[in-house]
Amino acid sequence: MKLAVFVSDYRNTVETLERLKPEKLGIILVGNGVYHATVKEKGNASPLLEKSADFYALSEDLETRGLSSSHVNSKVKVVNYGDVVDLLFNNYEKTAWL
Amino acid sequence: MGKLTIGCFSSLVGSMNLDFAVKLSAAALEKGHTVDLWVSGNATMLSIKDQRAFKDYSSLEKPLKELMGKGLTVTACEACAEARGYHKDNTMEGFKRHSMDWYLASAFDADRVLHIGGE
Repeated sequence: MKLAVFVSDYRNTVETLERLKPEKLGIILVGNGVYHATVKEKGNASPLLEKSADFYALSEDLETRGLSSSHVNSKVKVVNYGDVVDLLFNNYEKTAWL
Repeated sequence: MGKLTIGCFSSLVGSMNLDFAVKLSAAALEKGHTVDLWVSGNATMLSIKDQRAFKDYSSLEKPLKELMGKGLTVTACEACAEARGYHKDNTMEGFKRHSMDWYLASAFDADRVLHIGGE
C-alpha cells in the first residue's frame, strides 16, 4: 500500500508513524508539522526525518511561519497545494492525518 | 480526473485544519477533480451564515461560496450542527446538511479520501 501521512503538529514523539509499515510512505508536513522540516534541537534534525519515506512540506505553511526553503532540511521537498493534490492522486493510494 | 472526499472534524473558527481542508478542496477543484467536503463536530460552525470577517481572523464564508460556485459539494453533519444550535434557517445557502451516512457514501465511491481528525 502507498500511504501519504499528513503530519499537522510538531511533537517529538512519532510513535504512530513507527507502527505504520506501508510499501511506500510519503510524509506531508502541514500546519505546525512543517517545523519537523526546519527545527534543530541540540544540533539534530527532527527524528521524524530518519524514517525511510519521501518528505514534503507545504510552502504556504512555511511562509506563514516566516520560514523559507533555505530553512528546510535537504531531505524535504517544498510543495504547494496543487502539488499535494497531484501526490494524492498519482503517488499514493491511502491517507492518514496525524 | 478523480473524486476526492475530505472529512474534517476540526475545531472552531481559526482552526488550521479547517483552513487546510478548504484550501486543499480549492486546489483539487482547480486541477479538475470532483470534491466532496464533509464537516463534523465543531467544524459544522463553518455552515453558519453571515459570520463577520475580521482582518486577522480566518473567515471562510466568502472563499467557500466561490468554491461552491465552482462545483464544491460541502455538507455538515446535521446532528452535530443541531447539537450546537446551528439550525437550518441559520445555514449558509448551498451548504447541505445530512446524517453521517452521506459522508460514508461519499467516501465509498471516492478515488481518494482524507479524514482530518479533531483538534
